[in-house]
Amino acid sequence: MILPLRVELMKLRATGLTYGLLATAVGLSALLAVLAAAQAGSNVAPLSTASGLGTVTTTTGLALLLAAILGVTVASGEFRHQTATLTYLSFPDRNRVLAAKAMAAAAAGAVYGFAAGVAATVVGLIAVAIKGDSVALSAGTLLAHMGGAALGAALLAAAGVGVGSLVRGELGAVIGTIAWVVVIELIIGGLFRSIQPYLPYTAATTLAGIKLGQSLLVVRVAAGPQPLPFAAATGLLLAVAAVVAFAAALATVPRDIT
Amino acid sequence: MAVIEVNGLTKRFGSVVAVDHLSFQVDEGKVVGFLGPNGAGKTTTLRMLLGLVEPSGGSAKVCGAPYRELDNPLHKVGALLDSSHAHPRRTARTHLRLVATSAGVSPAKIDDMLALVGLSQAADRRAGEFSLGMRQRLGLAAALLPEPEVLILDEPANGLDPQGVHWLRELLRKRAAEGQTVLVSSHILAEVAQTVDTVVILDRGRLVTESSLADLTASTKTIVRVRTPKAADLAAAVTADGADAKVVPPDRVEITGSTPERVANLAADRAIPIVESTTETPNLEDVFLQLTADSGPQGVPS
Repeated sequence: MILPLRVELMKLRATGLTYGLLATAVGLSALLAVLAAAQAGSNVAPLSTASGLGTVTTTTGLALLLAAILGVTVASGEFRHQTATLTYLSFPDRNRVLAAKAMAAAAAGAVYGFAAGVAATVVGLIAVAIKGDSVALSAGTLLAHMGGAALGAALLAAAGVGVGSLVRGELGAVIGTIAWVVVIELIIGGLFRSIQPYLPYTAATTLAGIKLGQSLLVVRVAAGPQPLPFAAATGLLLAVAAVVAFAAALATVPRDIT
Repeated sequence: MAVIEVNGLTKRFGSVVAVDHLSFQVDEGKVVGFLGPNGAGKTTTLRMLLGLVEPSGGSAKVCGAPYRELDNPLHKVGALLDSSHAHPRRTARTHLRLVATSAGVSPAKIDDMLALVGLSQAADRRAGEFSLGMRQRLGLAAALLPEPEVLILDEPANGLDPQGVHWLRELLRKRAAEGQTVLVSSHILAEVAQTVDTVVILDRGRLVTESSLADLTASTKTIVRVRTPKAADLAAAVTADGADAKVVPPDRVEITGSTPERVANLAADRAIPIVESTTETPNLEDVFLQLTADSGPQGVPS
């Protein structure tokens, strides 16, 4: 397993998209943090409060989505660029390849989540310093949010590999992933809020400390159900990643590479 | 000892049979041409051999086992299918570094391999900027880098200029001289005729013939074409003599299974005047075309 994983990590390092998505994740998280900080005291609670500062330092929702998209491209890109042939010639055990891809994407996803968390936290702390407020969140909480973002992004990236293996058309898989998050999780989940905590992307945002339903846009949302506990959200995401990976394995192993 | 064994290999795509109970083998150290017109099922066969396409029936083994069961397969089999399989945004050097890592080969060999395939100057260019010929060279470099026991090349001359085809021929000759086993597919017999020991000819997914080039040449029938005002009489005479004759109006006879001398004697015995006589021995390309004469577009992956 180590050799295919090493090769998949090499591929990620040798692909410009990896860095492009990382820069986008960090940049957008920082930008959303700036926007949130600018609205502190109006649409967002004051920065002097744990709620306000927490809103600013957890603007990592887009980074989580981009981690999932990275996972999708790790798998579907092999078919788009016809590199799957060489991959399977090198490692004919397709389950090993799938596992290696999921692990490599998870590692990259963790970097996305953590880097985005750091960027948002830095913006939040700068904003607090500028306003002369005290830091309302403990270092442990801020680190937990960054770590949670890393974990959530890692698990979404791993699940993305499964999606990218099932849906080989890269564009369709990426659009489908975005549509799932926006339509199913945010719009339908927003309408039926009791189910929202149990949706996978929302569970990942819960790990990152993002308020329920506030993942992609910094808007005040009406009070709703409690998010899942950290362990339950982690378990849910692990289960989703495992189910998608299992379905991907069933579909991938007998598939002809023509 | 057979290094490649194909037994009853069959592949169906829906109702279309792309490969139909195909059996052949390639012995160690042989260079074998895998020939057939476009759509004959060559690529599908090679992909089944390499574990990329699941057979509908039969079996394919390389180095004694199905490809998917080989340990470190890149060391056993080097394959070039279609083109280089390189990510368009990765450089040739990066692509080969990935192959080297996958195969557990020292990256120090990469520069030598790039030089061998004539890509030293393009080592740091992205594969997406390469011409088809350059991609073929990069694919060959990737196949050769782990120094495999067997080479399986699918239409490797595609996209190569005449100089490139000459280079490829020399490369295959060198590999053959070193005792390497090579299975090389082509839809043009002349492209591989100077390199291969034996040929496996495929048409519509079925084996047409598997023989050495010498046997293939020997199996060709010399055609004696005769012009005579008594074409029907001459045709009857040679037919009675055990040969095949076809009258081509108004005054020609095409005879196979006989010799010019024998035909001349038969004509002389019967006072049949011969106005003109020519003899034609088909070349290998003609033989290939005859063997696959009924082929047309198959409409399935080749």
